Amino acid sequence: MSSTATEPAVTDAASRREPDTVVAHGVTKRYGSTRALNGVDLAVGPGEILGLVGHNGAGKSTLMRMLAGREQPDEGRISWRGGGGRWDARAAAAAGVRMVYQELALCADLTVAENAALSDPRPPRPGWRGTAERRIAEVLDTVFPGHGISVIRRAGELPMAERQMVEIARALCTDHLGLLILDEPTESLGVDATRQLYAHLKSLVSGGVSVLLISHRMQEVLEHSDRIAVMKDGAVVEIVDSAGATESALLTAMGGEVRADSGALARAAEVTGAVSAGAVSAGAVSQGSAETIAELRTGDGPAFRIAAGEIVGLAGLAGQGQEDVLARLWRGGRGVRAPKHRSYVPGDRQTSGILPLWSVAENLTISALAAVSRFGVVDGRAKRELARRWISALRVRGEAGTPITALSGGNQQKVLVARAFASDARLVLLDDPFRGVDVATKNELYALMKAEAAAGRAVVWYSTENGEMAHCERVYVFRSGRIVSELAGETNTEERIIADSFDDATGGAR
Amino acid sequence: MTTTAAAPRRSASRPRLADRLTTGAAHGSPALLSLVALIVIFSIAVANQPGILSVPGLTLMLMSAVPLVFAAQAQMLIMSVGDIDLGIGFLVGLVTVIAATQLGANPVLGIGMLVGIVAVYALLGLLVQRRGVPSIIVTLGMSFVWLGLGLQLLPTPGGAAPEWLAQLGSWRPNWIPAPLVFIALATLVGWYLARRSRIGMRMRALGSSAATLDKSGRSLTGTRVAAYALAAGLAVIAGLLLAAQTRSGDINSASNFTLMTIAAVILGGGTFSGGRALPVGATLGAVTLGLITVLLSLVNLSSSLQSAAQGLIVLAVLAGRVITERFTR
Repeated sequence: MSSTATEPAVTDAASRREPDTVVAHGVTKRYGSTRALNGVDLAVGPGEILGLVGHNGAGKSTLMRMLAGREQPDEGRISWRGGGGRWDARAAAAAGVRMVYQELALCADLTVAENAALSDPRPPRPGWRGTAERRIAEVLDTVFPGHGISVIRRAGELPMAERQMVEIARALCTDHLGLLILDEPTESLGVDATRQLYAHLKSLVSGGVSVLLISHRMQEVLEHSDRIAVMKDGAVVEIVDSAGATESALLTAMGGEVRADSGALARAAEVTGAVSAGAVSAGAVSQGSAETIAELRTGDGPAFRIAAGEIVGLAGLAGQGQEDVLARLWRGGRGVRAPKHRSYVPGDRQTSGILPLWSVAENLTISALAAVSRFGVVDGRAKRELARRWISALRVRGEAGTPITALSGGNQQKVLVARAFASDARLVLLDDPFRGVDVATKNELYALMKAEAAAGRAVVWYSTENGEMAHCERVYVFRSGRIVSELAGETNTEERIIADSFDDATGGAR
Repeated sequence: MTTTAAAPRRSASRPRLADRLTTGAAHGSPALLSLVALIVIFSIAVANQPGILSVPGLTLMLMSAVPLVFAAQAQMLIMSVGDIDLGIGFLVGLVTVIAATQLGANPVLGIGMLVGIVAVYALLGLLVQRRGVPSIIVTLGMSFVWLGLGLQLLPTPGGAAPEWLAQLGSWRPNWIPAPLVFIALATLVGWYLARRSRIGMRMRALGSSAATLDKSGRSLTGTRVAAYALAAGLAVIAGLLLAAQTRSGDINSASNFTLMTIAAVILGGGTFSGGRALPVGATLGAVTLGLITVLLSLVNLSSSLQSAAQGLIVLAVLAGRVITERFTR
């Protein structure tokens, strides 16, 4: 480790004596029209912990799946220890690549030991159950001393932190570990377990194992990895030596805002920031305090609030509580104040959006049936008229009677958005609805949203694409299930959103 | 790093026997209410007819439950992968028909037919996995095929089971009720297949989270095919035991097994979504349902109310389970 750290040309594979454990050469991957990876070059050396950081959609997870052989690149190739040949799941398993998934991949109904046995590559022996129990128990004891997990309990019964430990331990149940890929391994681990994990990683790499560590906890990555690769828009934009790297440099490389120093200055900035943010929110309140139509509290952070005529964005890394806010606003319940009429545009149109057997008009007007019916009977002419109005307003490429499945994805999405706005809902909830929608369609929908907000509707918009947040009047940035900051006007920039998404690391002293 | 310990070091987190017992009891707790229902029914029966508490009495009372217990174990295997078998009733009936018409006269053909049933089930598993056809559709369709084949072979109930099968059915040891031996055997087989063997673990993993099983590099198709073939094997045994008791074949003799086996698995703590397999629970559920018939005749209630009573007991136990689960949580 120390030798690579002192070498200036650490990225130069030729300068090392041993071949790199795994190398990605110009790897490109497309999903439909989106480019997930765009010519990635990355090498993980033997006995090295390589950190991998980046914001939403930077391509970390896709790259990770490529390196683990679970997906094949469209262009470019992956080579293992300088060799050639096809790199697929079988080859990766034979080479000793193990992966710890972020979305915990344990079978809830199986016991801890059975889960470990399921993914253990070693051939079974008679008495496999006892063997599996002993193996996983030994790994748990080695990595997390004093863990207190009973290996005969069902995985689904364990608390989140213990499931995470099991997930990590079961990846280590193998005889020859070559490369360990960890995707957000400390997300739900406690402080002690996190320390134990990193201590164990250190001992692993001293034995020649390579580790790829994906995390959004900047300080952990800085502290524990040898080099850090920064990804942005499907490419590795920078590989830095973690010895000389700073958090703000990493954030800048990711496209975030430079915020001087993380320590004292951050706290100072927070005080002044709180004042200015207070002024901003006070301004927003004074504008529309009379018409605040929905609010709710998330965790111990600031409350979520929206006034009529506003477009409010929910930003931050994916899965930090934004969907939960949408769900609570949609369902109502304790601690939530929301208008009676609201509508919801789901992001996953295939599973929870369109009614595939229905026509465009039927799909479009289902939320507005009250407006087009008389005495409980739907007025067919009024329905078609309403549909036609929206179809021409949004320039949907299709007739009212066209089956919805005959439309392209972008046009289906237009119909779904139109459905929400065709109703008389005062509050419209958008759950990342523009994923995989082309730019022209997006611009039309942005314009529609602004027009509808100006007409007095309130729009709550969750998006994983930070650039979209520029269309919002105010943006709440989420982190660990709570709102960490509220951005408006001048402060509502992509850079600030990225910086605040990782706020947990900078505010660690809080 | 994990197998370097040459000496069998006693790991601190290897569970001790007491832990195993309490964890096992906790995992099996959904079957508890079924056990309570069984005890209640049995007590009422004994109060009405104390003669039950003897080897011949118990034999008589439990006899009808034996094929049902085997069929319930088969249904449990199918349900552990997240599927449901709606054809098992007529399948068991077909096996009795084959036993009564072919096994005695033409053993080779008869055994070939039984093996063929297992092979067809393996194909059904393949179809469900590869083509994504819901198991309910496939097995419901097959149930009509079984019915048709059975009627073709033996249009009216009759025939004669081979001598060896009849002898098995009339085996009456003095010291223990014979049905108890068969019930214990069925439970043991189900327990080994579903809980103890590696293939059983994979079957439960498939029902619990197919994506995880796939990521572990195991074949989803192979697992589902194995589950169906093993279940078919158990259903064949159930049919043979039924033929051993009735000494004849009747395609309709087990038509109520389809829903009763599903009810037995659910009573015993199984789930429709898959992932769970509780062999002891499935047995308890099957015996409970089987005893209701006996109880109703003992208390002089019309046997036509059987199904209604069975349904009410299933509902009562399930409602009780929902309440206790809320209570313990």
